[in-house]
This record gives sequence, structure tokens and C-alpha cells, in this order.
Amino acid sequence: MESENTNPIAGQEAPVEGGHIHPISSLIREAHQIFSRMGFALADGPLLESEWYNFDALNVPKDHPARDMQDTFFIKNEPGYVLRTQTSPVQVRYMEAQIKKNIHPPYRILVPGKVFRNEATDMTHEAEFFQLEGLAVGTDVTMAHLKGTLDKFYSELFKEAEVEVRFRPSFFPFVEPGVEVDARIMGEHVPVKLRGRWIEMMGAGMVHPNVLKNAGVDPKKYQGFAFGMGLDRLALLRWGIDDVRHMHSGDLRFIQQF
Amino acid sequence: MLISRNWLQTFFSDELPAAEVLENALMFHAFEIDGIEQKGDDFILDVKVTPNRGHDCLCHAGIAKELSAILKLRLKSNPFAAAEVFNFAASPLRPAVEKLETSAAVFESTRAAGKPVLSAAGHDGDATKTGFPAAPTADVVVSIDTDLCLRYIAAHIKNIKVGPSPDWLRAHLESIGQRSINNVVDATNYVMFHLGQPLHAFDAGKLQAIDGRYAISVRPAMEGESMLALDEKEYTLNPSMLVITDTNSAHPSQAGVAIGIAGVKGGMPAGITETTTDIILESANFDGVSVRKTAKALKLRTDASVRFEQVMSPELAAHGMREVIRLILDIAGGSVEGLVDIYPIPQKKKTAFVSVDKINQVLGITLTGADISNVFARLGFAYKEQYGIFEVVVPFERLDIEIPEDLIEEVGRIHGYERIAALELPPLVRPLEVNQNFYWAEKIRDHLAHQGFSEVFTSVFAEKGERVVLNKVDAVMPYMRDSLLCGLQDALTRNQRNKDILNVSQIRLFEIGTVWQLGKEILSLGLAVEDIKKFPKVSDFIKDLEEKLCTQKLHLLVPESGPLGKTSVVEFNVSNLVEHLPISNTYDQLPLSPTKRYEPYSKYPYIVRDISIWLPIGTFLNVAERIIKESGGELLNKLYEFDSYYDEKSKKSAKAFRLIFQSFDRTLVEDEVHAVLEKIYTKLKVEGFEIR
Repeated sequence: MESENTNPIAGQEAPVEGGHIHPISSLIREAHQIFSRMGFALADGPLLESEWYNFDALNVPKDHPARDMQDTFFIKNEPGYVLRTQTSPVQVRYMEAQIKKNIHPPYRILVPGKVFRNEATDMTHEAEFFQLEGLAVGTDVTMAHLKGTLDKFYSELFKEAEVEVRFRPSFFPFVEPGVEVDARIMGEHVPVKLRGRWIEMMGAGMVHPNVLKNAGVDPKKYQGFAFGMGLDRLALLRWGIDDVRHMHSGDLRFIQQF
Repeated sequence: MLISRNWLQTFFSDELPAAEVLENALMFHAFEIDGIEQKGDDFILDVKVTPNRGHDCLCHAGIAKELSAILKLRLKSNPFAAAEVFNFAASPLRPAVEKLETSAAVFESTRAAGKPVLSAAGHDGDATKTGFPAAPTADVVVSIDTDLCLRYIAAHIKNIKVGPSPDWLRAHLESIGQRSINNVVDATNYVMFHLGQPLHAFDAGKLQAIDGRYAISVRPAMEGESMLALDEKEYTLNPSMLVITDTNSAHPSQAGVAIGIAGVKGGMPAGITETTTDIILESANFDGVSVRKTAKALKLRTDASVRFEQVMSPELAAHGMREVIRLILDIAGGSVEGLVDIYPIPQKKKTAFVSVDKINQVLGITLTGADISNVFARLGFAYKEQYGIFEVVVPFERLDIEIPEDLIEEVGRIHGYERIAALELPPLVRPLEVNQNFYWAEKIRDHLAHQGFSEVFTSVFAEKGERVVLNKVDAVMPYMRDSLLCGLQDALTRNQRNKDILNVSQIRLFEIGTVWQLGKEILSLGLAVEDIKKFPKVSDFIKDLEEKLCTQKLHLLVPESGPLGKTSVVEFNVSNLVEHLPISNTYDQLPLSPTKRYEPYSKYPYIVRDISIWLPIGTFLNVAERIIKESGGELLNKLYEFDSYYDEKSKKSAKAFRLIFQSFDRTLVEDEVHAVLEKIYTKLKVEGFEIR
């Protein structure tokens, strides 16, 4: 600000309490700070997404059950468009845009954003929620790097805590191999519910060659990892929040606490 | 899928390890386990088979193979290996005679510990012992009038005796929550849960034979055709669904009466009863997508449809038939009179390739050719290694394996992901791009928080908008919002009701979110400011924000709604705004939430009371607060000091407090609050405070 005197609200008499940013925003801010130190750039994409980016490009075939009406929001009079069910379409959009600019891997991006699932809501499920997606592509990015990257993320997020990360086999069409990632966080400052227990954190894996191909990246030359985690769930774990529906409540009794 | 440890044991000669060992083995090397339950001397594991393994693992044989690979346990024999022997001839309509003669060997009726075991391939069988006739006749004709049935094997068995199942069979079925019906139906169910192949038995006595021949066909249902299924419900079908029909039966259209919905459910017209003596067994393969759509449309998901949905190998049909015939002859008697196998395009043998280097390069570990051979051998894969390249013959049931990465996954999970050491990514040389939308959104967020604004997220779904969702589950707010204003106005109103408990003098909210307006997806900023005299107006904050962001380009921040000063809720197009703001090359280090833990709040109404007291001279700081809190007990939810006063003459201080009473489990009544207040007053007076 150039001059305090011209500020229209400067010098108002009423005392004003500081505002609070939403816990999801704080979590995104923090994750971004951690990941940017590891070379990940923030990227974004549209919420109303084409079926190509949301499904086909991600190696989800046309007749896959996930594309059924009940899981995905479709838009009236706009065939071929959905409310994105994951942040993963940004992987393809980003890589495609880089290739167009003639910028080749290494790529490292972090994609926070809102995603949608057409389901009934309860204490742990919402039809709209936030995801945090990561993608690292290069000539030599391995599953060992995936483990190292997530290790570092959780250690920095849960400061002064000891963190272990483990993989379990799983399946997502856009990665191969695909894994479920559990983390165990130990330390005094860790919420009791979380401390010392293995908690399911996210899905991850090595980017499926079809996804690279669909984005115009040569899968013979490049490989990489991708992960996607639910931010609402991470917030619930981190702060011991009792109901995911607080996130979209707009209720200051909730937001003021952050 | 429920998996019984006792059932699994039938695949192994050696005693299986404890259920927890099996659970861990599967969890870290194959599938998630949703639960484990002890039932008598058995343990039942709820295995969450991933969609890519529905082909082979929705059965005990598949899980047994997995455990064999993971825990290095020897299988009695590969449950799927006898296929080569049961090789029905290529010509689909050829009489079944030769097939049975060549395949009789696999119907060896060995029994171990009173339980059936699958026989190994290539045994010299005794045909009479199995009940097979020396030269059966082809008395069943099958025709397929669709591309969605990849294989259909029918067997005609005569002179069976329907009755209760033997104990071991009942026990196996009941262990995984299945109800025993009769020996024939149980046999078909058992083999499905054993090998994964759905099977069905029709009562041949209820079908029409012409010149001693039965005729089964698979065809699309006709528009409006209906069938009474075994669940005693009438289903109305349409041409997207497949039916099994008794071709010889009279039907107005000469198309044959439907006796089953292909891959989903059998029909009443040919249901097995206690008086059934002759049966036609079906072991077929139907297109997964077609079965899924049919089951969904009829709201009839069955154990059979669930398996076909996952796409099964048509090879498996032969295994299913072999096993179910063997079992039925064993427990219900009878003899095989006819067998026909229509298999127009047999599944091709598949090989997959991967190099040792590629495996190590993807997993980030250092395995030798020998390590990899070991994994493939444990999985029962036939393979060759040459110059560091593995050629793997993919078992027919593993429809999931095609590309090198599929084999890499097999190596990774069987060798164990726990053996991958964490490694940090090397530093990146290229400078990081700054996402301008995020940069400015963060900047605005930070500035507004400093001005007392709190950030809310409201739903993108609304009661009006330009776009409407086609299929919203709950049907409320089906539109996609074209503005943040409604959501913000609503949040403002709702928070105003809680103002006392929030302890804020003016409610100020903002949201940065997506709206869909004029055919575009826009990032929007909305501000909502409670309208109170002497407090700043929303227009003041807009000017302040304009100044913060771009001192000379105030006009760029165009409110999308009503004239300034008259409304307390406004909105701006951030996407447009960012285009006119300078490009930043670095992010600011912004503050994070300092909160350690969230405290739940009560959702019940609260009651507010203010009290004002004179402090005795020399009172320590916060003594009054402590007394009020202690006497207030758990109903006193919040306590704020909102005024203080010093009287020069009397040299006395006064303080005013706002007390908020609220319960976590009920709506408070005035009397309760009154009682607590009295308690507080009494205690304060005792301590020398004077109520004003």
C-alpha cells in the first residue's frame, strides 16, 4: 500500500478481528510450499471437463462402470462434458500444453482443486470435495522417487513427527503399477487418533504409458509417477474435524477455528 | 468376495498358515481385506478384489493361486491347468463324442478327506467310474444368434437324483453366506465360487425335445418379452438383453420361450425341482458390458452377473463344465448323454515381454534375472529369458496382463513394495513457473484475511444458473451456479444468527470459487459484508482492494452485480482481473493456519446474558473470569469481556461480560440458565465483587 492515509477503511473506529482463511486453502497453501521446494509447479484446469480428458485420455475405457450415470455428473444439453471426477485430467492438459510449447520433460506439477462424485452425502462423503494431485515425469522417475516424495511431504506437513509411508497393490486405470499409499505418523504433536496408526492416504502409481501417449509424451523415453489424495480427508485427519460437511457449510463457527 | 480358509485349504496339501498371515499376505501383495471373521473352525476373509482382477480372482482358485505365489505355498495342482486336456474341438457343431472321449481323463473322481479335488491334467482316467457313457450322443443342439456370447457349452445329464447336498458342500457354501438349495443347484454355485465360472442347470424335463434332441439358443430378447425368473419376479426385457431359449418350444414368434436371462438369472420355466431327473447344464461366456447393462436395467445384480461384468475368459467355461459335471455325477448320480461346445473364436494365446532393465528402471530397485524368474515361477507363469528380456506366456485367466508395465506390477507386488527404498527426487534445474491465477488468488486471500474477512466455500450447485446437471442423485439444487452472490448472502444471513457466539463486531466473508456465466467457466471473487452503521461498507473494501492490487487501474475491478453502496454482497471476475495484473515470477511466503486441533461446536440454540460487576480494589487480573467460568460449569460455552470502566472518584473498576450458554445435547431453557447465573452471582458476591 502506498499511503495509509488514503485507505478508505483506515482509521475506522470499530475494532476489527482478524479474518480466517478456510482450512482447505491453508492446506493447499502449505502443500504448495512443501512441494514447490521439491520442484513441483502449481497447475490448474476446468471443473467442467470433457469426457476425453476426464476419462478416455486417462485410460478409462468407454464402457467402464465409473462412467455410469450414477457416479458422474453429466450436464444437460452438453453431451461429452462432465463435472470432473478427479484432478487427473490436468495431468494430460498440462503435458499436452508443454509439448505444444516444445518443452519436454522433466515435468513436476501439483494440482489442487475441486472434484465431484454423484453420491449421497454423509459425515465422510460429499458430492463436491477437494483433491491434490501430483505428477512427476522424466527419463528416470521411479517408484522409489514416489515413496521419497511422499515421505518428505508428510514429514514436513506433520512437523516434528516421524513418518513412514508404505504401498499396497491397488488398481486405477491411469497408473500401472497402481498402489494405495498408507502413512504412519508418530510423535507427540500428532493427533491421538492418527498417532502410530497406518492410515490410508491416497492412490498413486506409475503413469500408465497410454496416458503419456495421449498427452503426446513418448512413453518409450519418459516415465513418471502420479498421486491423488483427498484434501478434505487430510484436513479431517490433521485437525480432528468431525464432519466433512463443515467444509462447504460457510459457517464461521467452523472457519474461525483456523 | 468372501473367501473361506477351509475352502482354500482344499487347494493345498500342506496346512495353510493362520488366517492373519493370509490376510497380511493378500493385503500387501494382492488385495485389500475388508474384514476377517471366525466361523467355527473356519475363517472367512472379505477380499476386495480389484476391478482388473475380477477375471480370475472372484473365486477360491484365484485367491489360492495368489497365496501360492505370495507365500511360496505349493498348490496340489494348478486349478486352471487342465484346460489343455478338456479341449473341445474347433468345429462348433461337431458331435460331442470325441470330445468326451479325449477329455474323459480329466474327470477323475479322486477324493481327499471327503472333499473333491481338481485332478491334474493328463491322468489316465477310468471312464466308467465317472459315469460317462462310452459313446454319448449329441442330443443337445445349441445355436448362438448374437456376437455377445463368446462360448456356450451345454451338457445333458440323465437320471440324476435331486436331494440334499453332502455336508462338506453345505458347509463350504454356508461358510461364505450362501444358502444350500439342493445338490444340483449347490453344485453349480459351488463351482462358481470355486473356479469363478458362472453355471446354470435347466430341468430338461421341462424343455421340448424333437426327435430326442433338445435345442438351446442364445438370442437378443424381443421388445416387451417377459420372463418369470427363479426369484419369482416377472422381468420385462428388451432387445439390448440376451436370453437363453428353448428353441423347440412353441412361441408365437417361433423364437422359443425364454428360460434364462443370459449371464444374469435362470427362469422358472426350466427351474430345478425335487422331481427333476434330467438336466441341461450351461457353462457359457457372455459379454461383460452387455451383462452389466442388463443387470443394471433389471436391477438384478447376481453372483453370475457380477462375474461376467468383470469379463471372464471363455477358456474358463470348459473348466467350469468339467468340474460341475464331475461334481454332479458324484453327488447326484446320472450319466452324461450329450455335450456340445460352441466356441466360434477361441481365445488366442498371449505373450508379454519385459526387460530386467525396464523392471528396475520403473520400480527403482536392483533385481537380477534370477529374482525376476523366481517371481514368475511363483506365479505359475511359463517364461523364457534371453539377453535380459523375459518372454512370458500369459495364463488364459490373466486377461489383465498385456504390456510390460503389467508384468512390472507382478514383479513389484510379489517381490514386495516394502523392498523399494524411498529416494528423493533430484533438484530441478529449470525455474518454477508461477501460476498467475493461484498467485493472485492467494494475494487476495491474504489481504482480505488481514481486513477481517473469513473465507467460505459454498456449494457450486444452486437453484438457478445457466447450466443444469442431468442426473443429480438428490435432485436438490440441480443448477451450476452462475454467481457466488446467493451462496454468500445465505452464509452471511446464517452467520449473523450466531453473531454473539462468534464474537465478531461485523461479519465479513469472501469466497474465491468457480461460476459458470455467459457460457464460460469463470474464477470469481465474492465479498459479503454485514451492513452496520458506522462500520465500513462493502464499497470501502472494494476501494481498499483495488488500491492493494492495482493502484491505477481501478476500473478493471468491475462489480458484476448491483450498484455499489446499495448492496452488501458483490462479485468480481478474477480470471479477467488477473489478465490485467502484472505477472509475478515468485510466490510470496504466506502464513498458514496455526491451529493444532479443531473443537466441535454445539448445534443447539444458545442463550446470551450480559453481566456487569464492580471489582474490589486490588483484584488480580482475570480473577472474575476464572470465578465465572468455574461457577458457570459446562453450560457456559463462551465468555467475553466486552466493556471495562474506571471510576476516578471511587477508584473502582467495572467490567462487563457477555456469557453464552449452550448445551451439546439439548436446547436450554431460561430456567436452567437463570439457575446457573444465580450460582455465578452468589460466588462473585462471596469473593467481594459487586453486581452493577
